[in-house]
Amino acid sequence: MRELISRFAGTDGTAGNQILTTGGRYALAVIVVLLALLGPVVAILEPFWLFILVQILVFALLALSLDFVFGYAGLLSFGHAAMFGAGGYAAALLIAEVTPNALVVLPLAMLTGVVVAAVIGWFAVRARGIYFAMLTLAFAQMFYVIAFADVPAMITGAETVTGGDNGIYGVQLFELFGVVDFTDRINYYFMALALVALSLVALVRLANSPFGRALQGIRENEERMAFIGYDVRRYKVVGFAISGGFAGLAGGLYVPFQSLAHPQLLHWTVSGELVVMLLLGGMGTLWGPMLGAAAVIVLEEMLAGVAAWEVILGGVFVVVVIFAPRGLAGIVVSLKEDPRNALSNAKQALLTYVKKVRGER
Amino acid sequence: MVDATTIVRATLLGLQLGMTLALVAAGLTLIFGMLDVINFAHGALYMLGAYFGVVAASELGSFWAALVVAPLLVAIVGGAIEILSLRPLYGRNPLYHILLTFGFAIMIEGIVVEVWGGQSYRIPVPEALSGTLSYGSLSYPVYWMFVLVVSTILIGGIWLAIAKSDLGILIRASAHDTEMVDALGVDVSKVFTGVVVFGAALAGVAGVLLGASRSVNPGMGFGVIIQAFVIVVIGGLGSFKGAVYGALLIGLMTAYGALIAPSLTDLFIFALMAVVLIAKPSGLFGATEAA
Repeated sequence: MRELISRFAGTDGTAGNQILTTGGRYALAVIVVLLALLGPVVAILEPFWLFILVQILVFALLALSLDFVFGYAGLLSFGHAAMFGAGGYAAALLIAEVTPNALVVLPLAMLTGVVVAAVIGWFAVRARGIYFAMLTLAFAQMFYVIAFADVPAMITGAETVTGGDNGIYGVQLFELFGVVDFTDRINYYFMALALVALSLVALVRLANSPFGRALQGIRENEERMAFIGYDVRRYKVVGFAISGGFAGLAGGLYVPFQSLAHPQLLHWTVSGELVVMLLLGGMGTLWGPMLGAAAVIVLEEMLAGVAAWEVILGGVFVVVVIFAPRGLAGIVVSLKEDPRNALSNAKQALLTYVKKVRGER
Repeated sequence: MVDATTIVRATLLGLQLGMTLALVAAGLTLIFGMLDVINFAHGALYMLGAYFGVVAASELGSFWAALVVAPLLVAIVGGAIEILSLRPLYGRNPLYHILLTFGFAIMIEGIVVEVWGGQSYRIPVPEALSGTLSYGSLSYPVYWMFVLVVSTILIGGIWLAIAKSDLGILIRASAHDTEMVDALGVDVSKVFTGVVVFGAALAGVAGVLLGASRSVNPGMGFGVIIQAFVIVVIGGLGSFKGAVYGALLIGLMTAYGALIAPSLTDLFIFALMAVVLIAKPSGLFGATEAA
C-alpha cells in the first residue's frame, strides 16, 4: 500500500504538486470574470445553457472537494456521494421546515457534510489504500440505503422523512432575507459562481498552509510523518471532514436548483462519475478536476442526442488513462512547456504502447 | 413466525446465491491477487455473459450450448481488455488500473444498452431442469438446485486446482513473487492474461446461470460488482478462500435478511463489511498489510 501511495504521489511524475503559480492565479481570476460575463449572455441567448453552467459549477465544486483528499492527502475516497447527498437532503429539509434563507441553509448543508465526513472518516482511516476506498464506498452505500428505505421515518415513527425512493420533490429555491430572489436563474448562477470561486481560494490556501503540507507529507510517507510526531489519523480525519464540507455545500447548491433531493444523489455511481472527472481533469491540481467536471458535463450534454454517449465517454476515459495519466491538466501543462515536440511525443507514446502490448520491455 | 420449512428454503436459496456470487468474486480476487488490479469491469463481464447467453440460447436453441459458448465469448473480451489495456499499464500506479477498468465498465454498459436496449430478457430454463423438487412441505425449483450444484462443483474444482495442481502452484508463486517466477523463465505476462481470461469466463458462467433464474438487464453488472467487492473485501483481497466464505456469508445474509427486513438487507451487508474492516482492516483471510 505504501508503494501505491508513493507512486500515486508523483515520484513517477503522474501527479503534481502544482498548487497555483502567480500566473495561474491571474488566469483563474480572468476565468472567473469571463464566467461572470458569460452568465448574462447565455441567459439571453440560450437560457438552457445557464442550467448546464450551474450544473458544471456544482460538479466543479464537488470535484474540487474530492481532489483535496484524493489528490493532496492521497485518500482514495469512493464515497463522496454520501456528503454530497447529505448536504442536499439537509438543504431540502431545512428549506421545507425552517427557512429558505441561503445564509442559513448553505452553511448548515456544509456543516452536515463535515459531520458525515467526520463520522465516515473516523472509521475509514483505520484502513488504508484500497481498503479505505472500499470502506468509504460501504458507508456511502449505507447512507443510500438509509435514504432509499427511509430509515429515519422508521426510527422516529414519522410518516416520511427522506421520502424514500420518491425523494423530496418540489424543493423551493433560496432567498436572501427577502432581498435577493434566486428564482431568477441568473442570480442563482452568480451565487454558485461566487461560492465556487471562494471555495477554490479557500482550498488553495488550505493546501498551501502547514496543514495542507502535512497532508501532502502523509500522502508521501505516512510512517515518517507519524515518526516525527504528527497525529496522522487526526490529520486524515480533519482533511476528510473539510473535503466533506465542500461536498455538502455542493449538495446544498444542487438540490434547490433541481428542486429535488433523491436517493440517487447518494448512489455510488455519483462517486464513480466524480472520480472520472477528477482523473480526466488531472489529480492534485485543484483546477484540473474542475476542468474535468466541466468537460464531462458538456460532453454528456453534447452527446445526449447520440444514443451511445456512455460508450464514447467510457472510451474517452480509457484513452485518457492509457495515454494521458495526468489528465487534461497534464496535457495543458506539457503543451505549454514543450509545444514544439507535442506531435513527436504523441507518436512516441503510441509506439511505446504498441511495444508494451506485444509484451516487449 | 417463520417456520422450519421457510428457514430451510431460505438457507438453500442463500447457499445458491452465495455460490454463484462466489463464481464472480473468485475471478475478482484471483485477478487482484495476481495483477494487483481491482477489476471494476468484472460486473460488466458478468452482464455480458448473461446477454451472450440470451443470444446463444436463442440462436443455438439450447441452454447447454449457451452455458459453454457465452463464457468463452466473455473470456475473449476479458483477454482483449488485458492485452490491450491492462498490460501496457503494468508498472504504473495500480490506481490507474482501477480507473481504467471503471472506464470499461461504463463502456460495456453503454454498448449493452445500445445493442440490446433497456428492456429485460430471460434465458429459458431447459425442459429437464424445470419443475420443482418437493420434500414434505418444502418445495424448491429444480433449476435453483442445479445452479447450486454446478457452482459448488466449479468452486470446489478451482479450489483443488489452486491448492494441488502444478498450474495452481505456478499461479500462487507468480502472485507471491512475480519477478522471481519471471527470472525462472516463465512468461508471467501469459500467466496474467490467463488469469484474467479465466476470471472473465467464471463471471460469464455466473451470468448465464443467473440469467435463467433472474432477469437480464443493463443494471445487473453494477449491482453485482458492489456485492462482489463487499465479498472480497470481507474475505480479504486476493484470498480465494476468503472470497468463497465471504460469498456464502453474504448469500445467506441476503436470504435471511429477505425474511426479516427486505428493504434493509443491503444496510446489514454494508454494516457487516464496515465492522469486519474496522476489526480486521485486511479482511478475514487477507494478508496483514495488503498491497
